[in-house]
Amino acid sequence: MQFQKEVEILAPREKVWQFIWDVDRFIACVPGCKDAKTIEAGKRYAATMVEKVGPFKVEFPTTIEVLEREELTRIKAQASGADNKIGSRMKLDLDVHLREEGDKTILGFVAGVDILGKLAALGHGIIKRKADQVLDEFAQAVKTKLEGDG
Amino acid sequence: MLRRFRLEEPESVAEAAELLGRFGESAKVYAGGTELLLAMKEGLVQYERLINVKKLTGLSDVTTADGTLVIGALCTHHQLENSPVLRDKLPALTKLEQNVANVRVRQVGTIGGNICFAEPHADPGTLLIALGATMIAEQSSSKREITAEDFFVDAYETALQADEVLTKIQVPIPAPNARSAYLKFGYLERPSVGVAVAFNLNGGVSGVRIAVGCAGPAPRRVAEAEALLEGKSKDEALRHVAEAGAAAGRAAQAISDLHGSQEYKEHIVGVLLKRAFQSALS
Amino acid sequence: MAKAMTKHSDAQSIPVSFTLNGRLQEIEVEPHELLLDLVRDQLGLTGAKRSCDVEVCGACTLLVDGRPVSACTTLAFEVRGRSVLTIEGLAQDGKLHPLQEAFIEYGGFQCGFCTPGMILAAKALLDETPNPSEAELKHFMHGNICRCTGYKKIIESIMAAAKKMRAKA
Repeated sequence: MQFQKEVEILAPREKVWQFIWDVDRFIACVPGCKDAKTIEAGKRYAATMVEKVGPFKVEFPTTIEVLEREELTRIKAQASGADNKIGSRMKLDLDVHLREEGDKTILGFVAGVDILGKLAALGHGIIKRKADQVLDEFAQAVKTKLEGDG
Repeated sequence: MLRRFRLEEPESVAEAAELLGRFGESAKVYAGGTELLLAMKEGLVQYERLINVKKLTGLSDVTTADGTLVIGALCTHHQLENSPVLRDKLPALTKLEQNVANVRVRQVGTIGGNICFAEPHADPGTLLIALGATMIAEQSSSKREITAEDFFVDAYETALQADEVLTKIQVPIPAPNARSAYLKFGYLERPSVGVAVAFNLNGGVSGVRIAVGCAGPAPRRVAEAEALLEGKSKDEALRHVAEAGAAAGRAAQAISDLHGSQEYKEHIVGVLLKRAFQSALS
Repeated sequence: MAKAMTKHSDAQSIPVSFTLNGRLQEIEVEPHELLLDLVRDQLGLTGAKRSCDVEVCGACTLLVDGRPVSACTTLAFEVRGRSVLTIEGLAQDGKLHPLQEAFIEYGGFQCGFCTPGMILAAKALLDETPNPSEAELKHFMHGNICRCTGYKKIIESIMAAAKKMRAKA
């Protein structure tokens, strides 16, 4: 599943870039994400993703690897997790872009999400909708956090 | 094999609600089990306790009271398809119940369980919305009403709180000049698209209610389509039904999946609305 | 008394007294046990088959109080106080039921995998509607799937059995 999102943030690029690497605050923007840990600053992180669709709940201990990094411009990352209770795995390929537009920063990302295992039984449509919701909420939360801080 | 769980068998709604409140997410209401046991067999959900509600009394009847038809949540589809009261007052619902799943699911599956599990590809919810039904949800010492329109929140998600038990479904008994119909389409085990229409016929059509189910994450009323038919004469309405169908299709929030692409489902919504409307008129 | 499964120390035991093919059984089951497993593995009645495991195909059909259920998705304790009929209980004193005879005479089965469920469902149909139209028959039997026959011979078998049963009645 592929998703593309863009959000306009009324904040300078440097501030947005710094925010991304402030792991605790950044992870707090991802709905269902908790217990963020830095394993190797700038390279490896860990968190737990908890998502629910009705009675179906998944908890993915997730590892996030930063693959490429272009200061103030781009991040390429990969995340993966497995919920053994429910026999499912999650894979995420993330490409994050920042660009300046006047006094605004455009934060864009392209996400490739794969759900494998039993959870896929819920149906591609339901999962896609959920993933879309999560990414939308995430983009909005980042915007709100950054603009709110003034 | 299912994972081991404890069986609780409360004898009152209050007791059932109390158990749900006490055990939270580790407990689940169990009636016919036609959806729940499948999810459990698949390993998609796990519970420490199942709360068997089949010992609760007074929840498996179909009665009338003050112009309202009251359907107990524990009524099986089989009971409903054979209920003389239902056949007399709501033949469209009788026909729907006759065609739910297969004879074995109808034998043990309950209408309450069906709407509470809120599987997107299901029938009753769509017609209940068009008929203006109200659900009665009870906790240990309180009751509330939830309109069918508000009941279905999302795929597998209803407006019920964690410790609420659905006890009754109330449907206003249609007036003598009321018409309704439910049509579905599907070629897999579960329906792919369902459309329900209800209106009053008195020279023209009024009080039009249209609902679409199965195509999107939850059944929903489509006011956009209703507006195109409301208040029109019979013939005018028939001329506008294709337009209404297109509006209903767009409003259905159709999801592309194994049942069909979004475009295909939207198209089928239009076809079914036209046929349901014509069927209701005849 | 049926042999109990290895007991977990926390096991909740539900006494289940029921009639199986006309004979009283008194057993104990745990809440999570499925009727199909009880019937096949503990009671040795393997006519009912585990096929789709999602209540769609009907190969696991059993009659509980004369009504068809999917044994694969029925908890075993639910038969307490009820009567259960499996295909093994249909013939009486070695004499086949008219449905069984008709399926043989009219070729209503090929591999036979769906047949126990098919015959039990047909019995429930005819007990409810002794003279079904083809439409009524198809509607009732809609949930019993056959991969071999194409259904024509199944319909003929059931209709023939119905005729015979009406004549006898």
